[in-house]
Amino acid sequence: MSLLDIKNLCIWYENEDHRQVVSDLSFQIQKGEFVGLVGASGCGKSSAMLGIMGLLPENSGFSCERFLFRGEHYEKKIETLRGKKIAMVFQDPSAYLNPLLKIGQQLTETIRCHKTCTKKEAKERAMELLSMAGIHSPETRMNQYPFEISGGMRQRVVIAIALACEPDLVIADEPTTALDVTVQRQILDLLKTISQRTKTAILLVSHDLGVIASVCDRVLVMQEGKIVEEGTANQIFYEPQNPYTMQLVEKAKAVMSVAKKKEKGVLVLESKDIGCKFRERLRWNKTCTREALRQISFSMYHGETFGLVGESGCGKTTLARILTGILSPDFGKLWSKGKVQMVFQDPYASFDPGYTIEKILLEAIPKQADHTKEVEKMLQLVGLKPEDRWKYPREFSGGQRQRIAIARALMSCPEILILDEPVSALDISTQSQILKFLDDIQQETGISYLFISHDLNVVKHMSQRIAVMYLGTFMEMGDTASIYEDPWHPYTKQLLSAILVPDPKKAHRRKKLIVKEILKQEEGTEKGCPFAGQCGYAMTRCHTEFPDFYQFEDRQVRCFLYSEEHTGRRRAGAPMISQI
Amino acid sequence: MIQYMIKRIVIGVLSLFVLVGITFFLTRAIPGSPFESSNVSGEVLEMMENEYGLNDPVIVQYGTYLLHVIQGDFGYSYENPSQSVTSIIAEFLPVTIMTGGLALLLAIVTGVSFGIWMVVSKQKIIQRALFSGTILGTGIPNFVLALVLIFVFGVKFHWLPVAGGSEWESYILPVCSLAIYPASVICRMTAHLYKEEMKKEYVVLAKAKGMQWERIVWKHVLRHIWLPLFNYLGSAAAFLLTGSFAIESIFTIPGLGSQFVHAISNRDYTLIMGLTIFMGTVVISIQVLVDLLGAWIDPKIRRSYEGQ
Ligand code: SF4
Repeated sequence: MSLLDIKNLCIWYENEDHRQVVSDLSFQIQKGEFVGLVGASGCGKSSAMLGIMGLLPENSGFSCERFLFRGEHYEKKIETLRGKKIAMVFQDPSAYLNPLLKIGQQLTETIRCHKTCTKKEAKERAMELLSMAGIHSPETRMNQYPFEISGGMRQRVVIAIALACEPDLVIADEPTTALDVTVQRQILDLLKTISQRTKTAILLVSHDLGVIASVCDRVLVMQEGKIVEEGTANQIFYEPQNPYTMQLVEKAKAVMSVAKKKEKGVLVLESKDIGCKFRERLRWNKTCTREALRQISFSMYHGETFGLVGESGCGKTTLARILTGILSPDFGKLWSKGKVQMVFQDPYASFDPGYTIEKILLEAIPKQADHTKEVEKMLQLVGLKPEDRWKYPREFSGGQRQRIAIARALMSCPEILILDEPVSALDISTQSQILKFLDDIQQETGISYLFISHDLNVVKHMSQRIAVMYLGTFMEMGDTASIYEDPWHPYTKQLLSAILVPDPKKAHRRKKLIVKEILKQEEGTEKGCPFAGQCGYAMTRCHTEFPDFYQFEDRQVRCFLYSEEHTGRRRAGAPMISQI
Repeated sequence: MIQYMIKRIVIGVLSLFVLVGITFFLTRAIPGSPFESSNVSGEVLEMMENEYGLNDPVIVQYGTYLLHVIQGDFGYSYENPSQSVTSIIAEFLPVTIMTGGLALLLAIVTGVSFGIWMVVSKQKIIQRALFSGTILGTGIPNFVLALVLIFVFGVKFHWLPVAGGSEWESYILPVCSLAIYPASVICRMTAHLYKEEMKKEYVVLAKAKGMQWERIVWKHVLRHIWLPLFNYLGSAAAFLLTGSFAIESIFTIPGLGSQFVHAISNRDYTLIMGLTIFMGTVVISIQVLVDLLGAWIDPKIRRSYEGQ
C-alpha cells in the first residue's frame, strides 16, 4: 500500500479560457521515500502541490478521481490531512512566516492545534524541533521575530513547523530557490537527514536538476501539467527515455561546462582600490559606518566575460552600481573606455508598463530623426521580430523580457554590459537560450560582460575570468577553469563545495557541508580577514590584520596562507600551489 | 523609547500653548462682555470688569492667565462664580467619557466584525447591504441620524427614551448615533485590509499548518489589521471623548459638549479656555498614545528601541 496515491488530478483556473494547469496527474509515493518532482516553471507543479494540500485559491477548480492516503479515501476532505499528515515547506521563508509573531508562537500554535497539550509541553516540543532543524540555542530563537534571523534560519524554522506533528509526508516546494548556495546545500542536507531519521516521505519540487540529483531517490518529470517520465534518479539522469527529460538533463549538464578561453583584448575598464562606505542606522540615535566595499582592484578586457560570484549581501550589486556611475566610490580610482550599461534581474520592474517596446528602447538614446531602423535592427539582434516593437511588455514571457532589457541596454552602444543575475529568475531551458544568445551578441559586437550571479554553474559556463567576493572584498580572482579545479582560498573552497551537480552518483559521493552560521558581521571584524569568523585555517593574525591580495602570475588570493611569512621564501618563478 | 516619548510629549505641550494662545485671543475678540446680559447698571458692570481684570490690556490678561494655568488653576466660571472650572470639568467629564468610550468600543467591535463579515460572506446581498450601510453611515451627519433614531425608536415604537435621564436606557440612542460614523469607516477599512492580508503568504502557511479559519484570523490576521487601523482610531477617539455638541444637545445629555456650547453663548471666558485646554490635552495625548502603541505593536520598531 502506498502512502499517497493520486489518480487523475485536474486543476484549472476560472479565468477566460478555463485552461487546465494540471491535467490527469497521477502518481504514487511510498512510505519514507524521497521523491523529486522536476519541471519548468509554469508547468503546474506548484498548483498541483497546493491542490494536494487543499490550499488552492478561490477562483480555481479541482477534481480528482482517486486521492488515497494510507489506503483511505480523502477526495472530499483533504483539509483534514493538512498540517497533521501532510505538511508543506514553501519557497520564500521570509514571506511565509508572520512578521509580527515570535518564532516560538508560530511553532507552538502548530503543535497545539493538532494535539492537546499544555503550553509548557508545546514549548519543549518546539525547542526539540528547532534543534532537530539544526538551529542552535533554540531558546533565544523562540523569542525572536522572523526579521531578526537569517534567511537560511527562517527556512529551518518553516521546516520545523512542517515537522511539528510528525507528518507522514512533507511537500517541499522549491525550498531552496530563494537561498544562497551554501545555505541551499545545508537545507537539502537537513531534509535528507530528516527523511532518513524520521522515515518521513518527502516530495521535493524543484526546477533545478542539481537540487533533485543531490537528494532524491526517485524522480517524476512534469511537463505541461502531466507526468511525462518517472523513474529512479539514476534512470532519469543517465538513461532518460522521454525526449523532454533528455532535453532537460542535457541542458543542465551543458551549463556545467567551463567557458572557452579567449585572447586578451585591449583594456576597457580598470578599477584600483575602490572602496565604499555606507552609514547605517543601528538605532534611531546611533549610526555606524559599514564598509560595503574594500580595496577592489580589477580590470576587464575587450570581448571577455568577467564573472562575479558571491552570496547575497556581499556587495556585488553595490559594485555594479559604482561601475555604472549610479554611486560614486569613496576611495580609489575607476577608469572605463566607453559606456557601461546594466541589465537587472527582474526586467519587468524596470519597464514602464504603459510604454511600447519601441518607446522603451528609445528611452536610452537621444532623440534622432530616423530610429525605426535601429530599433528593428536591435530587435532582430536579440531574436525578436521587428513587429514586436508595437507591443507592450506584459505581452512577453520572462525570457523575452530579458531580451528586451538587453536590447535596451545595447541601444546606446556600451563598451561594457553589466548583467546582474540575468537568468536567475528563468527556468533551465529559457536560461540556456539566453546564455547562448548573450554569447552570440558578444561574438558579433565584441562587447565585454560583467556577469554577476550567485549561481556558480552559470558563472562558470559564461566567464573567462572570475572574482569571488565575500563581505565587500575580492577573496580570489583568476582564470575560471583553474579556480574551479583548484580553489586556493578557504572561502572559495567552501563555496565551490556547495555546488549542486545534475549527477546523482557524484552527488552521493560528496561529504556533508559544515558551515558555521554567523549571524551578522560583528563589530570589529573590519580589522581582520572578513572570513576569519568561519575559516578553519584562521591564525591569530587573521583577526587583527587585513590580508593583502597576493598575486601569483594571473591569480590573486586574499589570504595569509599565501603570504611570504607563511609559505617561506620561495625561488623566484616557482609556481604557487594550493595551501589548503 | 523614553527619549522618543519625551520628544513627542514636548511637541504636544508646545502645540497646546499655541492652541491656548489662539483661543484666548479669539474669545477676547468676541464683541460684548460676559456681564452684559445680567441685570446690572453700567457702574456695577464697570466695577465687575475691573475686578476680573477685563480692562487690562489683552496681553497682560493673557500673561496672568498663563501663569495661573501653569499652576493648575483654571479660575472660576464667570457665569457661576461659586464653581471652579476644574470642578465643572470633573462634574461633566464622566458622562462624556462614558458615552464616548462606549461609542468607541461599539464602533471597533461592530466595525471590525462587520468588515470581516462583508468580505467572507458568500451572499451578494449581505455584501451589498453592508457596503451601502457604510456609505450611509459616513454620508449622513450624526445629528440627522440621531433625529431619525429618536423618531423611529422613541416616537414611533416607544422602545427607548428619547432624551436625557439617568437610567442606562437613555444612553443607548446617543451611543449608537455617535458610533455609526466611526463604525462605518472602521468597517470599510477592515474589509479592505482583511482582503489584502488574506492574500499574504503567511496566511497560506497558517492554513497549511492545519489551523482553523477563526484562529488564523484571530491570531494572525487581526494583528496586521490593527496596525493601520490604529491611526484612524486615534482621531476617532479624540472626536468621541471630547463630547459631541450636537448629540449631547439633542439628547440633553449633561456632558462636556453641551457645557461648551453653553459657555460660548454666555461668553464664559474662563470656562471656554478651561475646556479648550482640557480637550486639547486629551486630543494630543491620544495622538501620542497612538504613536507609541503603533510603535509597540510593530516588533521592528519596538526592538530598535529596546536595550537602551
Ligand atoms: S586570511 Fe586567515 S582567516 Fe582569512 S581566509 Fe586566510 S586563513 Fe582564513
